[in-house]
Amino acid sequence: MSVDIPKSLEDFPNSSPRWVGRAVERVEDPQLVTGRTEFIDNVVLPGMLHAAILRSPLAHARIGSIDTSQAEQLPGVIAVVTGEDAKRWSHPAPTAPAEWGTHCLATDKVCYVGEPVAAVAAVNRYVAEDAIELIVVDYEPLEAVVDPAKAMEPGSPLVIEEKGTNVMLQRVFTWGDVDGAFRDADRVFTEKFRWHRLGANPLETFGVIAQWDSVGESLTLRASVQSATHFGLGRAAVLGLPSNKVRVIAHPHGGSFGGKGGTRGTDVTALLARKTRGRPVKWIEDRLEYLTGGGSQAWDRYYEVSLALKNDGRVTGLDVKLLDDMGATGEGFGAISTAKPLACFTGPYTIPVARYDLTIVATNKLPQSPYRGMGPPPHNCVLEQMMDIAARALDIDPAAIRRLNFIPKDAFPYTIASGNEYDSGDYEAVLDKVLELADYPKLRDRQARARAEGRCVGIGVASAIEPGIFDWNAYAIVGVQGTGVPEGATVSIDIMGKISVRVGFALEGQGQYTLATQLVADYFNVGFEDINVVYLDTHSAPPAFGPGGSRLGVALTGAVLGACERLAAKLVKVAAGLFQMDPAQVELMDGKLVAKGVAGVEMPMAQVAGTMLARSDLLPPDVDPRPEATHVWTAPGRTEADDQGRAKSYLTAAQAVHVVMLEVDPETGFVEILKYCVVDDCGTRLNPATVEGQTDGSIAQGVGAALLEEIVYDEQGQILTSSYMDYLIPTIYEVPATEKGIVVTPSPFTPLGAKGCGEGAMHTTPAVILSAINDALAPMGARATEIPATPNRLWTLIREARNQTAGD
Amino acid sequence: MSTERQVSVTVNGVNYEARVEPRTTLVDFLRGELALTGTHVGCEHGVCGACTVLLEGRAVRSCLMLAVQADGTNLTTVEGLEEDGNLHPIQQAFVEEHGLQCGFCTPGFLMTVCELLENNPDPSEEEVRDALGGQICRCTGYRSILRSVNLAAARLRGAHTAGSAEHS
Repeated sequence: MSVDIPKSLEDFPNSSPRWVGRAVERVEDPQLVTGRTEFIDNVVLPGMLHAAILRSPLAHARIGSIDTSQAEQLPGVIAVVTGEDAKRWSHPAPTAPAEWGTHCLATDKVCYVGEPVAAVAAVNRYVAEDAIELIVVDYEPLEAVVDPAKAMEPGSPLVIEEKGTNVMLQRVFTWGDVDGAFRDADRVFTEKFRWHRLGANPLETFGVIAQWDSVGESLTLRASVQSATHFGLGRAAVLGLPSNKVRVIAHPHGGSFGGKGGTRGTDVTALLARKTRGRPVKWIEDRLEYLTGGGSQAWDRYYEVSLALKNDGRVTGLDVKLLDDMGATGEGFGAISTAKPLACFTGPYTIPVARYDLTIVATNKLPQSPYRGMGPPPHNCVLEQMMDIAARALDIDPAAIRRLNFIPKDAFPYTIASGNEYDSGDYEAVLDKVLELADYPKLRDRQARARAEGRCVGIGVASAIEPGIFDWNAYAIVGVQGTGVPEGATVSIDIMGKISVRVGFALEGQGQYTLATQLVADYFNVGFEDINVVYLDTHSAPPAFGPGGSRLGVALTGAVLGACERLAAKLVKVAAGLFQMDPAQVELMDGKLVAKGVAGVEMPMAQVAGTMLARSDLLPPDVDPRPEATHVWTAPGRTEADDQGRAKSYLTAAQAVHVVMLEVDPETGFVEILKYCVVDDCGTRLNPATVEGQTDGSIAQGVGAALLEEIVYDEQGQILTSSYMDYLIPTIYEVPATEKGIVVTPSPFTPLGAKGCGEGAMHTTPAVILSAINDALAPMGARATEIPATPNRLWTLIREARNQTAGD
Repeated sequence: MSTERQVSVTVNGVNYEARVEPRTTLVDFLRGELALTGTHVGCEHGVCGACTVLLEGRAVRSCLMLAVQADGTNLTTVEGLEEDGNLHPIQQAFVEEHGLQCGFCTPGFLMTVCELLENNPDPSEEEVRDALGGQICRCTGYRSILRSVNLAAARLRGAHTAGSAEHS
């Protein structure tokens, strides 16, 4: 049965919708503010044990022997596992690129600091941690490789010896006549950039409770997991179980931003649970484990970028060379972050041809994981710096060069050089609005006055695309086949007329249960109090992927409205039977089934549903008697990637322009943000308060990325940022107040016209801050090309520039 | 193994007696022994503030204290904020102003704001920042939290004004 999902609120069977598109309070919040939400560490099961994991203190070492005898004898210890158990009961992790995985517990050698070596299940965490201290591991240290350039050299230590190389992937993707574009260019600019490792750092670390049924050969996992189905499939593959024997119960979690990770820790916990005679084992990752061995690290990049232009400022070609240091294995699927830029490679611009020379290298560091934005934020940042470098050389205003190169609003849908299709947009309108909001000419005046006073003040203007609603085809170039990205919802009405919406993902913070409630309330014309959103496990939920890739708001809208449509069709059929009319003469309107054009012939929805539940004998023979319906939504029209990775991948392309003014203190290198303006277009805003929250939070993470956050390893592969004293997350002091405006260009491809907006400002904020810093530094001839632009880095640049001037 | 000690605390007005190992942190005691799981563990090294509770009215990090150090004291956790099934005005303000997203850090923020507004009913933005400078939120970017605090402060001042004889 095909379903017509409403394209706008006018298509709802409701004469006065009240909820969709309004800033509504979240149904999630009363539980959260009272501390009642069931985060994974709150869960206590009968007989539950607690795990602790012994981790490698060395970046690269052969394991001679492991003696667990003392740990096993400690009172309260129930089970101990090592690499021998991993070899016996599990397979190496699936990875991207493929075949770059290891076992969840080190077997013959360790490849990074923090790699699990052994684990203990005990009566409580304190005893478990006592026990891992009693495990004696004999390490034979090996030379570590932490620099990806050195890792590519012949004779480098090999992270995984069997591979015979540290190069995980090396390929050049060419889209159009790039050599021709650079040959025919009036001007070519080239610059190198370094984006240092950083990571997601949700306030809640990962946690899992594993329960192994050794008789039924099945596994139940309760976990703070983002995409439960996908996660369960991976665990089944690693643990050698049929996929239908792994049940995942996702718990609400305290943020993820892609960095919830936890697969390796889950596999270790599951192995422990095989040894406890059915007793569940809980493992809660502590913060040290998260920072050194969890899903905490992403994007460790060295760029060399060239831009070809005509003298008038039109960009005619882009050439990006990227070396990404993936860490020891591909298990975190961090390589996806090198593939996703194909979805927005040329940004909001009409750059006709481009080349991507991609190299991914293994080193003795923690494997990379996803992080908000999944790869484009550094790419956008370097592209925007190149636009500024060109603008400065050609003496064009940064806003003007962007305007000149924007994809015009009548060109959508627009296929970019790297193959993705942008759905819609009006980039000039967004730019105009933010320039007005910032009072751009006056801002430039302020800057001129400040400069005259000798102050180091800069203004940045930057724009980026946020690809929304991912499809696995976007990641084909790094060997990811994917497991589908469906989103399902089941809407049902009980005999009291109350409505349940059953979904397959747990709360994560983006207000998705509220969105489902808004949609159902408006569709059936009921109040929030009549609706309950219920989470189901992987054994009972409709097909679902959950949050990720800026998709869930749109995908859930499709799923819920599709289910509402299907349910309405059923109710119409039943009501028509009861009215003894043709179904074509009956419709749902304002929560009632009404006979079209026949006054007084109507029945409340609840009564129809009640009839279905109580008197199935009265129903027409071809009607399923359950007053419920399920719809599974998938992004339409996605295409297979061609040999150059080109595909229609992400369904929507939200766009933003940010304008920032900031001041660099030349004596300290500290940056103070003086003004921050943002205008974005993510199509229809289903709950504007939620969208604003995503923008605000994403700006904060972007500020962290641009100025503060950096994972540091020393030359031996020891991590130096293993606490929040060293890894600096923005506090209330660092996050600026913002002024915001919106432009709404509804997507023609999505239910209600919304575009993916969850990743949000992270795509633009690091770019605009670095742009503004470079605008501030330009008069002294300095240029910052490293992220984060920490005080020390900026101070050093300024000092060098001054020394240069003094020496001239 | 260490010898257990007797600990007696009053949490949210209820007296608890328990025997704990001296090394048990206060947050593990609250969550594990007393099943008050509204207080969350974020970093376990005193930086993020998710585990903040009130000890004799002062905001403390329960991950940096031992349960035995709290012996004989009065504690308030997030579970102690609501009254008769109604949200505390600070909780209500966070809901209305979208002062949370994932909600994991929120109990720590709420307790810190409690202390702030108890001592300073009309804080300036700078004073709010100073009070919250040691709390990390990874979701909101803090702007909605500032709005929440302002709303809560205004409501609490209003309630105080309405309820006091001098102002009626």
